[in-house]
Amino acid sequence: MSERYSRQTLFPGIGPEGQEKIGRKHVLIVGAGALGSGNAEVLTRAGVGRLTIIDRDYVEESNLQRQQLYTEEDVAEKLPKAVAAKKRLEKINSEINITAIVGDATPEVLAEFAGGIDLILDSTDNFETRMTINDISQKYNIPWVYGACVASFGMSFTIIPGVTPCLNCLLKAVPLQGLTCDTGGIIGPAVQMVIAHQTAEALKILSEDYDAVRPSLVSFDLWRNDYTSMKMSRAKDPGCLSCGENREYPYLDEENRMKTAVLCGRDTVQIRPPHAGSFNLEELAGKLSALGYAVKGNPYLLSAENGESRFVLFQDGRALIHGTKDIAQAKSLYQRLFG
Amino acid sequence: MNKVLFFAHLRDEAGAESVMMDAAGKTVAELKTLIAKKYGVTRLDTAMVAINEEFAPDADRIGDGDIIAFIPPVSGG
Repeated sequence: MSERYSRQTLFPGIGPEGQEKIGRKHVLIVGAGALGSGNAEVLTRAGVGRLTIIDRDYVEESNLQRQQLYTEEDVAEKLPKAVAAKKRLEKINSEINITAIVGDATPEVLAEFAGGIDLILDSTDNFETRMTINDISQKYNIPWVYGACVASFGMSFTIIPGVTPCLNCLLKAVPLQGLTCDTGGIIGPAVQMVIAHQTAEALKILSEDYDAVRPSLVSFDLWRNDYTSMKMSRAKDPGCLSCGENREYPYLDEENRMKTAVLCGRDTVQIRPPHAGSFNLEELAGKLSALGYAVKGNPYLLSAENGESRFVLFQDGRALIHGTKDIAQAKSLYQRLFG
Repeated sequence: MNKVLFFAHLRDEAGAESVMMDAAGKTVAELKTLIAKKYGVTRLDTAMVAINEEFAPDADRIGDGDIIAFIPPVSGG
């Protein structure tokens, strides 16, 4: 073996055997935003065998503050994130086999890859996709690492099918109106801290040191100087529909997914969350104004507009995204703003 | 007495890092309702709850002196 990984193999937790195992593994990274670019860079440098990165977005200026793989050139070229990530990662380590997929991480797409994947690193920005990852993980017996951050706060939890509780045990349903980086802001160090937790877990799993895997959910707030760890064994729910005895993998089912439709002749995409929620329109109006949207509203809906996009959000979570027929683009805007 | 801790945006909503209250004998679900009313914290239904740093389901009963933490799942990435 070359000198390339010498410092990592010197680390007793990994050693030459662990390094060899890491080099044979295939990791799927879902999302190539802040967490995705950091996670991908760490694993590329660490010498994972194969990396598949899926993302539906392109690089924008507001990404550069924290999405470490991207450059001003990528913004100017409006490169898809997965493509820009692959380009940069191949310069970092040409030995890694990297596949970039530009598109939505639907159950169908994830299932297509599930056969050959050893680990999934969650780097998405929404719970709908995380619940899909969670069901794929249970169905195909693939460990995954949840990671998320907003503002100065972040959390991570490692899910190993048959061993730990799953995300559906913890959440029971997709939480609506979680804060996102587009509404609550985000600082780079919070991203890096989540990446550190996720990739440390990844290296343990890839080198097959399962005893070292963190059994607790870790969360921190770098601005308020908190670091907490929550023991999770009691969270395992025998009746869970994703990992329990009578499992149904509900999030692989069309019924429980966000519904989208292009409204004919109106240049508009309608988005309806799977379960009607109750959005606090007043609070959201304030957040959207702060982001530079011109917002108007009444008790039933709010309409918001900036130079680029125009949409109407109803109190139950349904939205009309105007000025586009592109479902992926509309969904992306919705999930970035409303979780 | 019990110490109740709030994390992430719940802290902004509650207006405090933590509050002291007597929650002994109540279930986690009952405490959620009480806190939502008393401190105006919304979205508690989706927050994860830890009692003494261990995940606690809604039906768990709180004992005197237990430290309770509300940790909201976040989705950014």
